[in-house]
Amino acid sequence: MTPDAANHRPPKSIGQIGMGRIIDRSETAAEAALPCVVEFRNVSKTYNVGQRNAFTAIENINFRVRDLPGHGELVCVLGPSGCGKSTILRLIAGLPPQHPATTGEVLVGGAPVLRPGADRGMVFQDYTSFDHRTVLENITFGLECMGVDRRRRHQLGYEWIEHVGLDPKHDAQKYPHELSGGMRQRVAIARSLILRPRIILMDEPFGALDPQTRMNMQDLLLSLWHESEATIFFVTHSIEEAVFLADRIYVMSKAPGTILRELWVEPSDRPARQMQGDPRFLETVNYVRNLITQLEIEGRIAEGTT
Amino acid sequence: MPEPQPSKNDPPPSAATPERPEQRAAESADMVVRRRQQPVRPFRGLRSEVSAGKTLLLGVCGALLVLAAWWLLTRGETPQQRWLSPTLLPSPAETFADFPRLWFEEELTRNAAVSLRRVVLGFGLAALVGAPLGILCGCFRSLGALLAPLLIVGRNIPVAALIPLTFFWFGIGEQQKVMFIFIASVAFVVIDSANAVGEISGRYIDTAYTLGASRRQIITKVIVPLAMPSIFNSLRLLFGIAFGYIMLAELVRLGSEAGGLGFIINSAQRRGMRTYILLVLMIIPLIALAVDRFLYWVQRQLFPYYYGSEGWLHRALVFALRGCEDFAALFRRAVAPPLALSGSADQASKPGPGGAPPSETNTP
Ligand SMILES: Nc1ncnc2c1ncn2[C@@H]1O[C@H](COP(=O)(O)OP(=O)(O)O)[C@@H](O)[C@H]1O
Ligand SMILES: [Mg+2]
Repeated sequence: MTPDAANHRPPKSIGQIGMGRIIDRSETAAEAALPCVVEFRNVSKTYNVGQRNAFTAIENINFRVRDLPGHGELVCVLGPSGCGKSTILRLIAGLPPQHPATTGEVLVGGAPVLRPGADRGMVFQDYTSFDHRTVLENITFGLECMGVDRRRRHQLGYEWIEHVGLDPKHDAQKYPHELSGGMRQRVAIARSLILRPRIILMDEPFGALDPQTRMNMQDLLLSLWHESEATIFFVTHSIEEAVFLADRIYVMSKAPGTILRELWVEPSDRPARQMQGDPRFLETVNYVRNLITQLEIEGRIAEGTT
Repeated sequence: MPEPQPSKNDPPPSAATPERPEQRAAESADMVVRRRQQPVRPFRGLRSEVSAGKTLLLGVCGALLVLAAWWLLTRGETPQQRWLSPTLLPSPAETFADFPRLWFEEELTRNAAVSLRRVVLGFGLAALVGAPLGILCGCFRSLGALLAPLLIVGRNIPVAALIPLTFFWFGIGEQQKVMFIFIASVAFVVIDSANAVGEISGRYIDTAYTLGASRRQIITKVIVPLAMPSIFNSLRLLFGIAFGYIMLAELVRLGSEAGGLGFIINSAQRRGMRTYILLVLMIIPLIALAVDRFLYWVQRQLFPYYYGSEGWLHRALVFALRGCEDFAALFRRAVAPPLALSGSADQASKPGPGGAPPSETNTP
């Protein structure tokens, strides 16, 4: 068995765990009373407002993710490329030019997002390790910016190098160009998580990896997430990835991006490799695929009638 | 997805970029097959690598070709037998025979050192002023816009026309030569530095923001180090051009004769010593080449992560920066890091957002 499988711990879940079946669920009254970690209120984003090439990427997005005590949710945003997934994520992060939203409100912890900050860590699809810093220096970048002294931040850095499955002895002093894609993403994840962010934003972080590495990284992500309290927003265009990882999936439509459907999914009880070959898992994937096709057709018909 | 491509502003990918061993083995096996199939043709493969020895050999061949042409054109006992008369071009033998006289009587080394010193001072000043200014222009586009008119003038001004002006401004001494080099090159340094900053991919800056870096920290910890290899590269190339400019300043003589390679050419011209002029013209590129190689070595040692070198200068720099950090830490209150991993299990049950760093993000 892979080491990931050995480390796999059943998640702290709200309800049942299992093969990633769709759960028929809606917010309970108790949950509805909780404050929100992230809330979108009628958010639209139009690029190049007032110019000839104005383009509405997302329109009228509404959702709420509650602040469950001691437990973060893993929310997947699923949709084809160009549907505005990155736009949503970067609005939460507060990164220009997506930030600020054209209309509506983006709230984090009840307050409008004003600028980026370390409480919302982000992992990008592109490799964004700083070329001039070693793995250790990359991972401790945020601590350095906070002003943590070198001895303590390196100590913590070494712990995290090991924690994300890198070799503290051999990899710590390597430069990013000496690492494979999977290792770079491990560095990127460690670099965000070392700051203990409340929210982790992941923009197709495993999109550039081969299927094997990708599954290892999915297992790693789940095990890291289980021991933290962070809420993860995970953007992907892979239905398998979304069904495997998510507690909740937002299915998006394209041009302009809107949320078509909110799906609750059973958290996985086994490692990616075992789960993603299972017929019951594939059944859910197929169900979601058909659902998306059907929702798209409905959307087109609705468009035609208006 | 394809492998990540190095961004456009990256210097040539380092020799040390690790390929997977099996990939390298496959490649060399492939090469062996190709070698067997094809006879060696030096100009065959488009953009294919040429070994260091072969590069040197081809270079020597090129130089010999020029020398042979020179020898052929100036062959003959009497001026009438030559294709080019000695007044146009002395023969190689005549030229090199004059080298000892040039060396001793014209104080070649001293004059070369004088020229070099002027360029180093003038260009060094341009780099010290221009690179930080350029980085600021790249970071703050408004500053760039403010300086744009000056830079356009500085870049397009005919440098020769600057010489009379610098005589008015800085007199006829060393200062004039140094300032001439400074004025002639500073605009290029600013523009190249600003471009180097502009070419850094925005994703690095986004990443730094999401890791809690302030604007100042992003400039010092991300933008400057990432732009530095490209800035240094352009400084190295600009130094070569500045070395050409100094001739111009030294050729225009006013009153005192302050030395320099240009001065040798000038006085040789007055005395009709064509051989001296030719020799100096050959020596200048040699000096420029030596300086360029030296700067290239510095560049390689400064940026080991691009060139795969030992990185001596980089290590020295890191060491110095750590010293500065430790020194500054003496006067600062210690900042507690977020939770250590070992403490995460018991801390996890506590309510509230872990040890997330304080953020001023959501002040309503
Ligand atoms: N800065 C921008 N200016 C103009 N259009 C943009 C910009 N960023 C994204 N877009 C457009 O907005 C749409 C959504 O983009 P994005 O959020 O990146 O999609 P996704 O991440 O789902 O692939 C795309 O069609 C894209 O072309
Ligand atoms: Mg995207």
